[in-house]
Amino acid sequence: MSQALKDAQQNVEMDMTPMIDCVFLLMIFFVLVIDLSQQSLEDLILPEAKYQQPDDKPPDVRPIINVLQNGMIVYKGKVWYSPAEHGTNYAPIMDLLQYFKQSIKLDIETKQIGATTVGLVNDPVLIRADKWTEWHYVGEVMKQCSQPKAAFWKLELAMSEKDKELKPKPSGN
Amino acid sequence: MSTPLDMAQEEYKMDMTPMIDVVFLLIIFFLCIDFKILEAKLPAYLPKDKGSQSFKVEPQEQLSVLILPTAEGVKSPRVANRTGINPETMRPYPMKITGHKFKWQVGPREITDLDRLKAELTKIANDKSTWQKDKDTGVLRPMDVVIEPHPGSYYDDVAKTVDAVKAAGFENINFGGGLGAMPKK
Repeated sequence: MSQALKDAQQNVEMDMTPMIDCVFLLMIFFVLVIDLSQQSLEDLILPEAKYQQPDDKPPDVRPIINVLQNGMIVYKGKVWYSPAEHGTNYAPIMDLLQYFKQSIKLDIETKQIGATTVGLVNDPVLIRADKWTEWHYVGEVMKQCSQPKAAFWKLELAMSEKDKELKPKPSGN
Repeated sequence: MSTPLDMAQEEYKMDMTPMIDVVFLLIIFFLCIDFKILEAKLPAYLPKDKGSQSFKVEPQEQLSVLILPTAEGVKSPRVANRTGINPETMRPYPMKITGHKFKWQVGPREITDLDRLKAELTKIANDKSTWQKDKDTGVLRPMDVVIEPHPGSYYDDVAKTVDAVKAAGFENINFGGGLGAMPKK
């Protein structure tokens, strides 16, 4: 082999930088876009709490109830209950709890409590409400959770590690 | 005319492109990370035996923490000039409330300051004479706490209270009251 050919082979080095760039960009894109666990979280400003457990490893699917400021109850983008539409008819909230029991794999223990046989759910239901949601809306959700038909007895109240309302937001218009 | 030294300097010019690429990638990464929702949770419990009255339940002493709103506060749009329904999301534009005030009542004592509430609750939690036997394990532990938000309370008020109760060392938190809507003026 001639010296010239050897030199040419040594000088041909592939530049990996654009490929690494593309790989990183694709990774960021997929991590942010295909994050299914964020799908059922409404855009709410949660209250700040200091001694909370970090919600760092949430399961992909879990019962989540989003309570908006006007009392609307939303799961995966669908409005299940609206005070303006349903008023004091809380059956849609119970329907949502039943939907959780049917569609999500939950730890359900059949227990005889008094004269009633109850399917007690040992997995928690996460309640996410805006910090300025009137408490009685959240209280009504809890009331429905504690009914024997639903029997969700473990709750988790969603909090934020910092109060995002304190962060100035750009004003529109 | 270029000297050999000039030519050598030209050859050693650093290529800044990959560094700029990486810096941009890092900027994009950290910007996007901020948009992800980092949340936390506080556990609480509801009564398991609701709706059954055919057996007697042993009464258990609970520490009652009342949340009593004293000033409703003034509502204003969270983002200026944004009220009504957001046509993109079909959700109402959120509001913020300024000047909302409330106080707590722990037993006969009324408390207006969060730090004082924590101190009072810690004192009770550390007083072993108030501890009760766990129904299942029989081990002594601080008594259960029942938080009773009165009409006009917000989720934020309850969150602060639950936080203080947890910080004081209480394990079991239940909820009562609060099902009335905001009193109309």
